[in-house]
Formats: sequence, C-alpha cells, structure tokens
Amino acid sequence: MFIADIKKDFYDVVANQRVALLVAADIDALCACKILQALFHCDQIQYTLVPVTGWQDLSTAFLEHKEQFRYFVLINCGANVDLLEMLQPDSDSIFFICDTHRPVDVVNVYNDTQIKLLIKEDDDLGVPTYDDIFRDEDEEEGEDSGNESDEGSEPSGKRRRFDEGAIERRIERQRAKRQWEARRREILFDYEQYEYHGTSAAMMFFELAWVLTKDTKDMLWWAIIGLTDQWVHDKIPHMKYVSDIATVQRHVSRHNHRNEDEENSLSIDCMRISFEYDLRLALYHHWSLYESICNSYYTACSFKLWTLKGQKKLQEFLADMGLPLRQVKQKFKSMDITIKENLRDVIEESSNKYGMKDIRIQTFGVHFGFKNSFLASDMVHAAAALLESTERDENDPTDNFIKALDALSRSHLDRLLSGIDLAKKKLIAIQQTVASCICTNIILSQGPFLYCYLMEGTPDVKLFSKPLALTLLCKYLLTAFIHSTRNKRCKLLPLIMAAPKDVEKGTVIVVGIPPESETSDKKNFFGRAFEKAAESTSSRTLHDHFDTSIIELKSEDRSKFLDALITLLS
Amino acid sequence: MKRNDGCDGLTGISSWFQEDGLRQVLQEMEALYEQNQADVSEAKAAGRADLIPSIKLRHCCLLRNQRCVVAYLYDRLLRIRALRWEYGSVLPANVRFHMSAEEVQWFGLYKKSLASFMRSIGGQEGLDVTQDMKPPKSLYIQVRCLKDHGEFEIDDGTVILLKKNSQHFLPRWKCEQLIRQGVLEHVMS
Repeated sequence: MFIADIKKDFYDVVANQRVALLVAADIDALCACKILQALFHCDQIQYTLVPVTGWQDLSTAFLEHKEQFRYFVLINCGANVDLLEMLQPDSDSIFFICDTHRPVDVVNVYNDTQIKLLIKEDDDLGVPTYDDIFRDEDEEEGEDSGNESDEGSEPSGKRRRFDEGAIERRIERQRAKRQWEARRREILFDYEQYEYHGTSAAMMFFELAWVLTKDTKDMLWWAIIGLTDQWVHDKIPHMKYVSDIATVQRHVSRHNHRNEDEENSLSIDCMRISFEYDLRLALYHHWSLYESICNSYYTACSFKLWTLKGQKKLQEFLADMGLPLRQVKQKFKSMDITIKENLRDVIEESSNKYGMKDIRIQTFGVHFGFKNSFLASDMVHAAAALLESTERDENDPTDNFIKALDALSRSHLDRLLSGIDLAKKKLIAIQQTVASCICTNIILSQGPFLYCYLMEGTPDVKLFSKPLALTLLCKYLLTAFIHSTRNKRCKLLPLIMAAPKDVEKGTVIVVGIPPESETSDKKNFFGRAFEKAAESTSSRTLHDHFDTSIIELKSEDRSKFLDALITLLS
Repeated sequence: MKRNDGCDGLTGISSWFQEDGLRQVLQEMEALYEQNQADVSEAKAAGRADLIPSIKLRHCCLLRNQRCVVAYLYDRLLRIRALRWEYGSVLPANVRFHMSAEEVQWFGLYKKSLASFMRSIGGQEGLDVTQDMKPPKSLYIQVRCLKDHGEFEIDDGTVILLKKNSQHFLPRWKCEQLIRQGVLEHVMS
C-alpha cells in the first residue's frame, strides 16, 4: 500500500527498531541510501546496509537477514515484482519500498499489511482499480457447488425447471466471469506493458528529511545527484526533469538564504550549492574543453565527429567562437580567464548556428573550498564509473559499491577524483566504440528494431559488460545512428544491443532502449518482449537485473532469441 | 654476529620465540668468555700485553650480544603487553602459539596486575580502562565489514551477520574489539 504520511507511517515506525537496508546498484539508490544513513545517524537508529545487484542477490540477502530483522527498507528494487511471492517472508516482516521502477506490481499496491510503498500516489502511476483485478471468489463457489450437487440426482419435474433456471444462471455467471477475466488480462497487460521510471528515490528521502526538518545541504546535494543520475542515464523524460529541477530549486534557495548577507558571509570552506544553466559537456571543468566536446554525446553526434567532415566542422566551430586551439586543448582550469568569462554564452550562440539548440541544461553545482567545484553530472559520471569499474580482474561488485558510496561524501575527495579519471576513460571508450560501430556499419535494422552486437575483440568491451555503461553506450549509439543515417524509417526504431558479459560462461548481456524522439516518454516495452521471446524459444536467459529490459543470455541462443523477438514485435 | 631482533610485524608476536637463536648466541658468548678467561690469565701470567686488544674486542662483543639479547626479550615483552590491550584477557590460540612458556606466565602476571589496578579505581565495580581508548564522540558508530566474520551478538541479544562489505550502525563499545582486530572498519562520512 502507499504510505500517506511518510513521517508517521515510516520513520516513526522504524525509530526504535533495527532496520536492514537493501540497496540496488545505481547512483540514485546510492544517494538515497546516503540521505537515509545520515537521518539514521541523527536519530541513532541501528541499521545494516547490504548492497544487492539483482533479484538473486536480493533473495540471498533477505534469507540471511530475515531472522535478525523485522523491518526491511528496499531502495530502487522490489516494486515491480510480486515481492511476497518471491521472498516468501514470515508474516511479521515489513517491507518499505522506495523504488523508481514502474509499473508497481498490483499485489504490492494492494497488500495492506506487509508492503509499504514510499512512493507518491499521484506520480503518474495509473494503477488499475481493485475491483478490476481482484475478486472475491468464495461466494461464487458456494453457489456453484450447491447447484452442482443437485445435478447428480434424478431431476423431478419441478426440480428440472428449477435446475434449468439454475443452469442458465450458472452459464451466465461463467460467461460473466470469463469476460471479467479477459478484461482483467487486458488491463494488466496494458498496465505492465511499458516499463518506465518515477521520481528519484533520493528526492523522496530528501523530502522525508525536510518534513523532519533535519535536512542539510549535504542531503540536498545528494538529492540533486540522484535526480541528475536519472537524467544522465535517460530514465526520465525531459519535462519531468525540468519540473523536478524546479522543485529542488526551491530547496536550494531556501538553503542559500543565509549567504545573501555581505557582512556575515560564510567561510569559503562551507558547502554552497548554486543553480547553473550550464553546458551539456560532460566533465568539462575537469578536462580540456576540446576533449569534452569530442567525448560528450550531444556535441559529438551533432558534429558527427567520426567523419572527417565532422572534425572540420568542429574546427570551424571553435574558430567561429574565436577560441584558439591551444587554449581549448589545455586543462579547463588553466584556461585564460578572459575566455572563461563569457564562455557559456559564446558557446550557446555559436551552437545555435550549428544546429545544437539545447547545448545548455539546467543543473546545479557545488563549491567547497577554493579548489573544489563540481557539477551534479560530474559526480554522477564519477560515481557510475566507480560503481562499474573493471580496473582489476576480480572486482567484487560490493567493493565497487562501497567505493562509489564513499566518493559521494565530501571527505573522500580522492575517491571522487579517481572516479572522474575513470569516467573520462569510460567516455573516451564509449565515443571510440560508437565511432567504430557507425563506421563499420554493424548496426543492422531487423525490422521492428535496430540491433548491434559488440564482438569479443572490440577494445574496452569489458567495460560494456556492465548494465549502466552498456545503457549509456546504447543511448549514444542510437543518437549517433540517427544523425548518420538517411533512412527516415530507421530513425524511429528502438535499439537492442548485445555485448559479451562473461567469456568463460559464454553469456552476453542484452539491453533494449526505446526509440529516440523529441517528446519521448522513455517507456520501454522490451522487458515483457524479452520475457516472451525467451519463453517461446526456451532460451537460457537470466532476468536478474532490476530493470527488466536488461537480461543475460547464452551466446548460442542469441540468434533464435532475436528471431523470436522479430516475430513478436512485427 | 647474529641479529636477534627478528620480530617483524607492527604489533603482536608474529614469529616464534627464537629459542635456538638465543641458545646459539648464549653459546657464542660462553665461547668468547672462555677465550677471554684464557687470554686474561695468560696475559697476567706471561705478561703479554699484545693480547689485551683481543680481550677488549671480545669483551665488546660480549656486551653487544648481551644488549641484543636483552633488547629482543624486552621488545617481545612490550608487544605481549600491547596484546592485552588489543585482544583482551583471552589471547587467540595462534598468538599464544608463538609465545614461550615464560612469556605466557609473564602475561598472566601482567593481566592480574592490570585487573587489580582496574578494580582499585572507579568506585565499587572498578573501571575498565581498556575500553574507549580514544575519547568517544557518539554512542553509535558506522562500521564497515572488511571480511566475513559470521554472526555477532550485541547486548540486547540480537544477532548481526557480518558479511564482507556490509555496513552497520552499531553501539560503539561492542565494535571496538572488532575494529582493533581489523574485522570492522570505522567509517566517517
């Protein structure tokens, strides 16, 4: 059931208890977790934090901890399946689920005792009404069985008439029941067909902190990072991002109120969050402007930097703005101050000429100390790179989780900086892979969708065995493809990408993303499609990830799985 | 010359009590002493002044060996004393394995003396000074588990599963032992 008052129904309930936090492996969940941890520290609520990377992990963690804990808080996992059936908990375990995955499973919505959803009810949910899906079967059966027992005996005249009436009623009831069931199936199919994401979990917990008046700038910053993560990884449509930014902006101005005074200005070491209408160039403050332009998907795809013509256009663009190459290729922090002053406006003006209308995006930045200033998207890229780093061979995913969690706090700047370095490498790798894919034309149109397979020998292919990195690559590849192809029909197709996941076991990871469009609502139907295709071909798949559009598949079953998908979707 | 300060490692006893090494050194010292004795009596009797430098040299060697041996023994004792503060009154078996019988006895005596001291201060029940080595800032601390430690029971009877890379928020006094042992790590955010 949905929680109405988050303070009374969630926080006060767990206030004197011990809680188990099961947190999924994405940046929004990490930020939400940090906010909740900070709140728990304030009120000395004992907890245990366990990172989980998939459904199996979740079940294992639950089994291990179910003896010791009664209250479980699930962050960014658990809303979109029937949790009680999956975990089989005892009747006194209570689950608080704060998850951005939609649609929320109907059983979770209508369970009143064990499942409490920390989700706003008006959040574009469209849950079917109770009567449409559930029905009290008991009365029906009583009447039916009563009638059936009459059937056996020899009917006399009167009873025959009575029975005919009864039989007719029964047939009528059965027909109504079948109709109701067909309608129910249809409603559920429509409801569960598309997968999408709701409001960020970090923002949800920030609101809890605000209601408790225990919110701090750190928590606000984490909420901002959680929201930006949803935007960077393309989980929410642009309109929702803008409206969420407006919500956050109110909190930011509330927190910045104290800085207005000239006389009592705060020390430079204090944390300041500011609204920035900044450029959509990834990591450009920590890189050189040139590198950032080459490796951000927006600019790289608009210029088509994998072609010679594109490179020339970029040079023209820089010349048009009057930026000398030497300045542009050196570290941003050492760039000439006179150039940096009006950089954003100058770039916006020039990019309008080159067809990039949205080079600027509303976001937030943080400053603490003289040297440290970061944009929210920088932190998202850094944390995501740390979370999925493949630097050392046997990287325990929980190790990476801890590293990424550390990088988000201000006292571990060295982690954050190493994360930024990893993110740079990741972006370069993505750009190079995109360039090679487009140039070698390995994106094939399979009819209802586009398909691309990364061969095993591709450089940096290990990087793309992780879901977040592969999703980012997918998105960039699709944008690049749309810019480079002439086929009008192909521009409206979704993209499925497969990359080798584990060479020894012979599995590939398959990701599907919805088609790219201006007003896309980011609703993804590949979850259900993958399930059905796997069933129909009995391919060996593992639907372990919390996003149903990301699965693991045995390499040998790849072609028949694809064929099934093609037939399913055409 | 053998160096006997072979106790490597930062804390604790990581190598066995070098009985053989010590015995060799003592034998060497005895041999040197014998030679010195012989030379001294010869020097006195036959008036050979040229033996004096060699006597002096051997004497220096003897003194040095003595210093080394004493330093070794003393260093081990200091480490054993630190073990009481780190591990508590019961030493794990693998540490006790490395100690000689005399060292174990010394440890017992030290424990007794520390316990009587603790009983004497702090009023009726005494004060456990081995807790709270650093001034505590809060009742509960956030700890991260560095290795799989299995189940861990805290005061109110609840059991916590310490799995690698899980984080917990627990009462400080229960965690201190495990932090010192390196199973948990205090996380400051």
